[in-house]
Order: sequence, then structure tokens, then C-alpha cells
Amino acid sequence: MPIGILAAIGLACGLIIYLVYIKVPQKVKGLEKTEEITSILPGMNCGACGYPGCFAYAQALSQDPELITKTPCSQVLQDPDSLARLEKALGCKLDAAALCKKALVHCGGNSEVVCNYSGAPTCKAAAQLLRGYKKCPYACLGLGDCVEICPQGAIAIDPEKGIAVVNPDKCTGCGLCVTECPQELIELVPAGTKIGFLCNYKPLKNIPGRERCDYGCIHCRKCFKACEFEAIDWNKETALPEFNQEKCTLCLKCVTECPQSTLADFTKLGREKEAELVAAE
Amino acid sequence: MNELFAVFLGMVLINNFILVRFLGLCPFFGVSKQLNSAISMGVAVTFVMAVSSLATWLIRHYILIPLDIEYMNIVIFILVIATLVQIIELFIKKTNLGLYFSFGIYLPLITTNCAVLGITLINTNQDYSLSGSLVAALGGGLGFTLVLAMMSGIREKLEMANTPKSMKGLPIAFITAALLGLAFVGFSGII
Repeated sequence: MPIGILAAIGLACGLIIYLVYIKVPQKVKGLEKTEEITSILPGMNCGACGYPGCFAYAQALSQDPELITKTPCSQVLQDPDSLARLEKALGCKLDAAALCKKALVHCGGNSEVVCNYSGAPTCKAAAQLLRGYKKCPYACLGLGDCVEICPQGAIAIDPEKGIAVVNPDKCTGCGLCVTECPQELIELVPAGTKIGFLCNYKPLKNIPGRERCDYGCIHCRKCFKACEFEAIDWNKETALPEFNQEKCTLCLKCVTECPQSTLADFTKLGREKEAELVAAE
Repeated sequence: MNELFAVFLGMVLINNFILVRFLGLCPFFGVSKQLNSAISMGVAVTFVMAVSSLATWLIRHYILIPLDIEYMNIVIFILVIATLVQIIELFIKKTNLGLYFSFGIYLPLITTNCAVLGITLINTNQDYSLSGSLVAALGGGLGFTLVLAMMSGIREKLEMANTPKSMKGLPIAFITAALLGLAFVGFSGII
């Protein structure tokens, strides 16, 4: 008897929801497009696009299709089929290769270890004690917070240098590691990036970085002078090289010229390291 | 009238849902980072509390008590609250899209907010009348909103404050909550 009543109330509740769903008039127009876009999006509500969920992202997209170029959904970019459907829904052309982003760890990992850290084995804990145990306060600590969070398993720790390396083949550019890293070392760069800049301090004024790290950029402008294709611009504000991916022919002259080996061939960076690590295992 | 006022005041301050009864602690920490979202959450909870205490009072008095199955309070109330939240969400989505987006994710989250189940069970235990239940629900919701707004105001200031690094974020929020709770103990016994 009580079971019957419970079942009856449950059925009644379900019926009421159904009735409300079909009886309440759909007064609001303009949600059709949002719902169409939502059906294409992965529906994981990962929040990597910066919106609280896929529905909110679809709502923003339906109002401003240009948004897809600014904050693209990294999951859709991996899948050509849903990308084509999204193109159709938004009515604009999307270049997956240009929008696709990869994570790059801005650290070369040559900074000396100056003290013995034996605390909790996470970067977050280590970074709270005087910004880590390496000489450079901006260095990658290599305790693998990013490895833990990466859903694709694209990040590995290079045991020689003690830094994280990203395999661009596996990386989908979701950006979870960017927020996870306490040293703010990881940045999403366009997938077509050719030269990776492996140093993390940006402001020219008050840099403790240069005298503390033996590996960082010393602003010598050698890469700028070495480039024959005018693919490197020198940013006077930050005193750092800026790379023009279209002009770059990947001759790697800047990489060999750099006295601090701060530059590296981005197209090989993660893949070679990963191959080495696999071979070592 | 006096009795209703006592119930209202008791729900807002003396038996405050968050700081005295410790119900609805999840949104207390989850949604108290910004004042705006804290207030929308509070308003949504108050609304759902009022509607669900009305519905559960009717169900209790017209179904559960006549059939003598009051021991099934909790399971039936959960069912009713979940249904109500779904209906409200559907209704708002179809009639007022602006309101729907301003509630955002908070509306479906209320389904699992124990403050809502709490108010229905308190109404049952205290055996309030229909108007008493409604006043208790409104008072409880107001108290919830009040504490959420206070907490979010403090946390907004704390973001700027020079807290020690290991205390940043949740640890200092927990300590703040403890101090707020101590302050609310001062209200006990004023009626």
C-alpha cells in the first residue's frame, strides 16, 4: 500500500512535468539556434571555453558567431565531423589548424636546484615555499600537477631536466594545465607555432630571473639578428623576441644562435622527449 | 500574528539555516565568492523553499496523514522538491529567458540543497499551520540569503586583503565562517 502511494506520487510528478513541458507555450523565440549548437558541442561542460557550461557557450555563440575564433571549443576542433556541422550552424568558415591550440611549458629546465625539498610531492605545495626549490623562481618544478590533471595524458616529466613536456600530438588545447600550474608557466599557443620560447619571465623591469637562472633569456637580440627571413620582431617593451609564424621557414638559425638555448623547435619539442622517455622505459 | 512574527524572526536570526542549523553549507562556500551570484542564489532558494513548503504541507495534510503513512515523509518530500524544481526551471526557461540565464546553473542545483528539504522537515516536526509553514520558509530563505550576502561581501574584501599565502581562498573563508557563526550564537535566546 505505501509503495503503491509512493509510486502513484512519483507517476503523478512525472506526468505534471510532462504536462508543463507540452502545455506551457514556447513564448521565447531565438533559442532554436542555441539548441542546435548545443547538440553539436561535446556536452562535457568542462568550462575550458570560459563559460559555465556548453549551453551558456552555445548561447554566446548564437549571438556572436565570431566568438568561436576567440575562445574556440577545443573538443570540437579535434573532431572534423562536428566542426563541419558547427560551421554550417554558425554560417562561417572555420580553420581548425589556425584555431587549434597546444600547451607549451615556458621553461627550459636548466635552473639549478638550490635546496632539498621533501614536502608534499605537488607543485602547488612546493611553490608556496619561497616559490619552489629551484634557483629561478619562475622555473618548472616538475612535480607533475599538470600531468595529473591532463585528461589526454599528453604531459610527461622529463627526468633529466625535471620539467614537464607536452606532446602536441596528444594535446587538445583544453587549457586545464594552464590554470593548474602554480608557476603560471604553461600557455596555449597556436598549433602552427614553429619556435618555442622556453622562458617565463616577461616584464623587463625588476626581473629577479636573469641573475637567478642560468638558462633564461638574456635579451641579447642574437635571434633577432640571425633571422634572414624577418620572421622575428623585437618587442622593445618586454625585450623579448616575437615570432611571425608565416615568415618562419624553420631554418632553426635562431635556435642554434641562442647562447642560452632558450629557443627550441616547437614541432619536435614534445614528440622527441616523449619518444626518449618511452625508449627509456 | 505575534506567533508568526516569532517564527519569522526565529528562522532569520536565531535558528539561522546556515550558521546555526548548518544546513545548505555547500552553496554557502560554493556560491559566496561574488555578491551578485550569492544574492541570486539566495532568492532562488527562498522561492523554492516557499513553493515546496506549500506543496509538502498540502501533500502531508491531504495524503500522508489521512492514509497514516507519515513515516514516508522524507522520500516523498524529496520527490516533490525535485519535481517542483524541474517544473520551475521549465517554466522560467519558457517564459522568461532573462531570468533563466541570471539563475543559470543555480536553479537545478537547488534540487540537492539540504536547506530546502530541511525547511519541509522542520515544518513537519513543528507541526506549523499552512501560513506558519509559509512564513517559516520565507524567513529561512531570507536568513539564508542574508548570510550568503554577508559572507560574499566579506570574501570579496578578503580577495584584496593581504592574507598569508597558505590561508588564501578557502582556509580564510572557513575561519570567517566560524567567526560569523560565533556572532550568530549571540542571537540565541532573544525570544
